[in-house]
Amino acid sequence: MRVVARLKNLMEIEKLINLGVDVFLVDTPLAVKKINGELFTDLDEIFSHNKEVYLLLNKMIHETDLELLEMVLNKAKNDLIKGIVCGDLTVMVMAKKMGLNNKVIYQPGTMNTSSFDNEYFYKKAIKGITISKEITLEEITNIFKNKVTEISLIGHGYLDMFYSKRSLLSNYFVYKGIEHNNIKNNDLFRLKEEMRPDSFYPIFEDDGGTHIFRDKALESFNEMNVLKMYLDDFFVERMFIDDQEYYDSLLAYQDSSYVPKFLEKYKAKYNKGFYYQYTEKLKGELNDN
Amino acid sequence: MITELLAPAGNLEKAKIALIYGADAVYIGGKQFSLRARASNFDLEMIKELVDFAHSLNKKVYITMNIVFHDDDILGLDEYLLYLESIKVDAIICSSMIVIERAKILTNLEIHLSTQFSVTNSLLANYFYDEGIKRVVLARELSILEIEKVKEKSQADLEIFIHGGMCVSYSGRCTLSNYTVLRDANRGGCAHTCRWLYNLYEDKMLLSENYDFQMSSKDLQATDYVKDLLRLGVSSLKIEGRMKSIHYIATVVSAYRMLIDDYYNNSLRDMSFYQNEINKAENRQTSYGFFAGDTTIEQQLYNQRSEVPTKEFVGIVKDYDYESKLLFLEQRNYFTPGDILEVFTPDKNIIQFKVDKIFDEENNVLDAARHPLQTVVVKLPVSVPKYSIIRRVKDE
Repeated sequence: MRVVARLKNLMEIEKLINLGVDVFLVDTPLAVKKINGELFTDLDEIFSHNKEVYLLLNKMIHETDLELLEMVLNKAKNDLIKGIVCGDLTVMVMAKKMGLNNKVIYQPGTMNTSSFDNEYFYKKAIKGITISKEITLEEITNIFKNKVTEISLIGHGYLDMFYSKRSLLSNYFVYKGIEHNNIKNNDLFRLKEEMRPDSFYPIFEDDGGTHIFRDKALESFNEMNVLKMYLDDFFVERMFIDDQEYYDSLLAYQDSSYVPKFLEKYKAKYNKGFYYQYTEKLKGELNDN
Repeated sequence: MITELLAPAGNLEKAKIALIYGADAVYIGGKQFSLRARASNFDLEMIKELVDFAHSLNKKVYITMNIVFHDDDILGLDEYLLYLESIKVDAIICSSMIVIERAKILTNLEIHLSTQFSVTNSLLANYFYDEGIKRVVLARELSILEIEKVKEKSQADLEIFIHGGMCVSYSGRCTLSNYTVLRDANRGGCAHTCRWLYNLYEDKMLLSENYDFQMSSKDLQATDYVKDLLRLGVSSLKIEGRMKSIHYIATVVSAYRMLIDDYYNNSLRDMSFYQNEINKAENRQTSYGFFAGDTTIEQQLYNQRSEVPTKEFVGIVKDYDYESKLLFLEQRNYFTPGDILEVFTPDKNIIQFKVDKIFDEENNVLDAARHPLQTVVVKLPVSVPKYSIIRRVKDE
């Protein structure tokens, strides 16, 4: 199992390598929720450290993005790029036209929920799929049993739960008549719902739209023994996490003896997501699709 | 190619109303595999009855199977698909690969890709066309210019939402409901967490007032863009709202039917005419979504609940007796003698009348029609057809 970390700057590369990181995930111009979009121009420097590099293209791809998509994927022709992590299946389609489908990791967040999805994308000869965020450990292990292509998981960090094309923060400030000159890419905004006074949900606006995240970060320390038997990639997310905490989390995955210390320090920020939590179905209403 | 008008229906009566009032096709969810299973009263026999009814009018029925499948949802899928084919449904609407693949292997059912997949470009539309998908329901995040570009290059038929509720998130990409109330948004459990009220903080500083941060979207109302969509030749214009009343469905379907027919007959009226018709049943604020490009505050709702109850719909015609000139109607909202009502017929006629006396079925005089679903009788000198809608005339 490879540990995939999001790279924030060139100076931390050696530190991340020492913390057991196998793959650097680098933002591209077609990434949303970016950590550092400028690193895309520093790929040669990143390659020089002899670690695998994945490119992140998790934006929804509109017609006007197709030209840029081809340009970004041209960069991925470099043999040192081992993965193309995408949220929109369009990337797979374009990558196949360019002979790059074997690098594609399909990571839509919500759609890969069954064993069949793994089978379907195996037939498309892509590198692999990332299991969706909202399913249980039992469901995950069931998918493992039928594994035919590479499987990955975002197993640590604040996971997003909403992706809108609307600029919800900017629009709100316009509505309120408030001038605010630091809205986009500002990671300090939080939402508090009227019936849940103790929960603060990170909300983040960028050029791709607005993203809302869980109030607690996910951690997978106890589950790692099961996960590492089957997972090919374990993504460690870092949005809303300061650098020291991020490094501490990587250390805890590298050396399990450090886990108690990590949890002692940060436990209040974390939970187990949906690993042990089933969600109900068939109680909704309104918006048809 | 004539563009289809596609309407929603949560039960058999609503489906028939939609077809009678001008929809070319209806989409419904069965009790299984549909995001709106809660909105569905369609068991297998009812689906067959509706298909037979629609086909007798030379119209179509599509079945939504658009949940995102987990491993434990798959039981019964094959049998369901085979049944739908056996009763000759016209298409299924789905978003999970397993439904697409099983339908292709087991049946010759026409397959439409749900907007749950949020297709936003021609490359992906053509991919699915090559995968055997006849029609793609485009994401609601596309502008009219983007739709035009997709249409130019797409081999798949395109279906476009023109009216009704909108997810604020890209459809299928939201788990707010899963996390906040443990109800799976992509398996029919959406709790509309995006419509709740929030306070906004920056770091520790409160920026909002009294929970006035909302993400809620106004509903879509695309009358101003329908003629562009018809000019482009998209295959289908879709109305949202399987939970809506028969009054809403009849009124909205009828308004868009008139708009589409007027376009093809080169007799378009001012858009305010169609919009006024829609407003007779619309109980939410509306806007034009993404059709003009990125949304602004014009498309958002702030510091208010999204729905205002309407009392305009007072009943539906069950029968008319020519000899006695008595109208039998099923009551839906309170009305009294002296009220001015209008009958809105499926062929778009409007007949206004003042209520004289109200009787029950035993010929007792009532001081008011006050009981929902009660059959009441009023005098009306003009014959009107079954399924006509009766609504209160608004004070101007």
